[in-house]
Amino acid sequence: MSKPANQHVNGNGLNGNGGAAKAEMLTLEANTAAVEALSDYYAEPAWMRAARRDAWAHYERMDWPHTKEEAWRRLPLARYPLENRQIAVAPNPLQALRSLPACWLSPLAPQPQVSGIVVHQNGAVAYQDIEAQAAKQGIVVMDLHAALHTHGDLIRRYWMQGTITRPDFNKFTALNAALWHGGTFVYVPEGARALRPLQAMVGYDDQGSTGLHHTLVVVEKGARLTLIQDRRSLEFLPELNSEMVEIYAEEGAWVRYVSLQHWGEQRHSVSVQNARVARDAHLLWVNVALGGQMTKDFLRTDLLAPGAHGVMQGLTFAAKEQVMDQSTYQLHQAPDTYSDLLFRNVLRDQAKTVFYGMIRVEPGAQGTQGYQANNNLLLGKARAHAIPGLEIAANDVRCSHGATVSRLDEEQLFYLQARGIARYDAEQLLVQGFLRPIIERVPLACMRDGLDEEIAQRFRESPAQTQ
Amino acid sequence: MEQTLAQTLEIRDLHVRVEGKEILKGVTLTVRPGETHALMGPNGSGKSTLSYTLMGHPKYEIVGGEVLLNGESLLALSPDERARRGLFLAMQYPVSVPGVTLYTFLRAAASAMRGYGEAARRSGDQRLHAHLIPAREFRQEVNAEIGKLKMDQAFLNRYLNEGFSGGEKKRAEILQMALLKPRIAILDETDSGLDIDALRIVSEGVNRLQAELGMGLLVITHYQRLLNYIRPEHVHIFYNGRVVHSAGPELVEKLEAQGYDWVQAEFGV
Ligand SMILES: Nc1ncnc2c1ncn2[C@@H]1O[C@H](COP(=O)(O)OP(=O)(O)OP(=O)(O)O)[C@@H](O)[C@H]1O
Ligand SMILES: [Mg+2]
Repeated sequence: MSKPANQHVNGNGLNGNGGAAKAEMLTLEANTAAVEALSDYYAEPAWMRAARRDAWAHYERMDWPHTKEEAWRRLPLARYPLENRQIAVAPNPLQALRSLPACWLSPLAPQPQVSGIVVHQNGAVAYQDIEAQAAKQGIVVMDLHAALHTHGDLIRRYWMQGTITRPDFNKFTALNAALWHGGTFVYVPEGARALRPLQAMVGYDDQGSTGLHHTLVVVEKGARLTLIQDRRSLEFLPELNSEMVEIYAEEGAWVRYVSLQHWGEQRHSVSVQNARVARDAHLLWVNVALGGQMTKDFLRTDLLAPGAHGVMQGLTFAAKEQVMDQSTYQLHQAPDTYSDLLFRNVLRDQAKTVFYGMIRVEPGAQGTQGYQANNNLLLGKARAHAIPGLEIAANDVRCSHGATVSRLDEEQLFYLQARGIARYDAEQLLVQGFLRPIIERVPLACMRDGLDEEIAQRFRESPAQTQ
Repeated sequence: MEQTLAQTLEIRDLHVRVEGKEILKGVTLTVRPGETHALMGPNGSGKSTLSYTLMGHPKYEIVGGEVLLNGESLLALSPDERARRGLFLAMQYPVSVPGVTLYTFLRAAASAMRGYGEAARRSGDQRLHAHLIPAREFRQEVNAEIGKLKMDQAFLNRYLNEGFSGGEKKRAEILQMALLKPRIAILDETDSGLDIDALRIVSEGVNRLQAELGMGLLVITHYQRLLNYIRPEHVHIFYNGRVVHSAGPELVEKLEAQGYDWVQAEFGV
C-alpha cells in the first residue's frame, strides 16, 4: 500500500493482470450472444466458457420463482425489473475512488488499516492493491476475471461447489453463472495471514446496469482472513442485481466475512451466498443490510466436518417501502459442529422484513449445537415476519431457536428521559443499542463509527415514533 | 441551561392513580435548597409511586394536587424536561439497557443536561457526535467521578446496568447524579444492596454534592444506617399514600425501635 492510488489507476490491465487490452466499454443485451461476448472480452479459459453456456441453458429452461414457493411467498417479485436485462462493463476508476467512503481510503493514509483492496465499478475492476507482506505469502484480493488467468486451476476446483451457489439453484443463480461480470477473488494460501483486513467494494452508478457480481473466497488450511465487502449503487431507474458469494474455509481456517449492503433506493437484489466450513475451521459472518428497494438474500453456512464452527450475525434497518427478505440456513452435516445465528432487524415507516431461518441437523451429526435467534424492533407501522425452523435428524444435539417482535421499551425510555435525554434521542439510543451486538462484531473502529452514524441518520429521517 | 441554581420542590395534596387504583392520597411536602428530608414508611405505602410521579413516569395518573419547582408546575412536563430543570431520581430498581454502554449513556445524558443537543440542533450540525460533549473532555470528567466513587473503570464499557449487582447499580445511580448535578435529588432506597463500605462511599458522595450544589434531598429509606451518614433535618412518616407525621431526626430512632404499628393507632390511618 505504499504508492498513491493514481499510479495504479489506468482503466484496464491493472497491475498487469488483465490480459489483452480491452475496449473501454462493453454494452450487451442479456442473451445467449452475451455469454460468448463476455468470454471473448475476458479471453476466458474454455472451461469457464463451457460453464457459462451450461448456466445459460439452465437460465432459459427455468421459470422465474413464483410466489407460491415458500421462499418467495412474501416478496412482490412482480415488481422486480426482470425483463430486458442489460450488461454494461464500464469502469470509471477515478470516480469510483472518489465515491469511496472515507474509511475506505485508509490504504492511502500514512497508517494503513487494511492489507489489500479491490474496487469494482460498473461491472469492471477500477482499482486493486495489496501490501507486500500479504503478497509475499501469496495472498490475493483481486478481480476475478484477471484471476482466471493467474489462478485458473484453483478457481476451477472451487467454482460453484456450494449447496446453493449452483447454476440450477434458481433463475437468478443461473443468470449470474451465465453472465457474471465483475468479480472479487480472495485467496489465502495454506497457513497465510495478512496483518490487517482485506476490503472489496462493488459499486454501480447509473451507467452500471444489471449487477451480476460474483465473489469467490478460498481460505486454505490453517489460514486466516478478514474480508470486508461493501456494495453501493446510484441508479435513477429500477435496476436488478443478482449476486453470488462463495466462501470456502478449509481445515482449521479462520474466516471473518463482513458483508455490507448499501444498494441505492431503486435496486432490486437477489443474493445467494454460501459458506462451506471444513474440519475445525471457524467462520464469523457479519451481514449488514441497509439499502435496496427489495432484497432477497439466501445466506447459508454448511458445517461439513467435525469441529466446524459457524457464527452468523446480521442486522437490517428497513425504512419507507423497503422489503428485506432473508433466508438463512445452518447445515450441520457432521458430528461436533457448532453454529450460532443472531439476526436483528429494525423497521420503520411501511417497511417489511421477512426472516426464514432453518437449522438442519443431518442424521449422525451427534454432539451438534445449533442456535438461532431473530429479533425485530418495530417503529411506525412496519411489519416483521419471522419464520424460524428446525429439522433435526440426530438425537444428541443442543438446538434452540427463537424469534421476537417488539417495540421500544417504555421503562427504558423513561429511565433515559429521567436523565435529561429527550424522548427522540432516547429512542435513537435504544435503536442503536438494539443493533450494538452486531456492530461490535465489525472490525475497524472507523467502520463501526460509520455504521453507527448511518443507523443514527436512518433513524433521524423519521419523526418521533412513539410519542 | 434550563437549570437555575437552588430550587424548591413543593408537593401539594397530590393524588395519584395507578391502573385505576388510588395509591397516593394527598401528599404534601416541601423540600428547600440544601435541606435533607427522610421519607420512611412501610412496604407498599406508595413511596416509589411518589418518586416516579415526581419524575413524570407516564404510568401514573394524577387525579389531584400540584407539584411545583420554584413555583412552576412540573406536571405538564416530560421526564427529560423535569431532569433538565434540575430534578433527579436515583431509582429503587434501575432499568438495564442492553446495547447501550454506561459511558455512551452518561455522555448522552450529561450532554443533554448541558445543552449540547440544543446547540447542535440550532446550528443544524448533523454529525454523529455534534450533540455530545467532546470525548476527551468528558472522559476525564467521568474518570474523576468514577474514582471518587471507587468504581472500576471497566463498568464504563459495560451495558447500562446489565448484569450489574444490586450494589453496583446503586453506585452507578450516584455516579449519574454526580455528573448531572441536579438541584433536587430523590434517592429511592439507594442504600439497599450496598455493602458497608459502599454505603459510606456513596453517602460521602451525596454529601459532597449537596455541599457543592446546595441540593435539596429527599431520601427514601427503611433503615437508620443510611441516615447516620446522610443526616436529615426532617423526617416524614409515609403511610397509606400520604405523609402522616413529620418531625426531626429523633423520629428515626423511634421508628427503628418500634416499627410502624404505633403509627396507625396514633394517627388513625
Ligand atoms: N402498576 C401497578 N399496578 C398495580 N398496583 C401497583 C402498580 N404499581 C404500584 N402498585 C401498588 O402501589 C402500591 C405502592 O407501591 P410503591 O412501589 O409505591 O410502594 P413503596 O412504598 O415504594 O414500597 P417499598 O418500600 O416496598 O419499596 C403497592 O401496593 C403496589 O403494589
Ligand atoms: Mg419503593
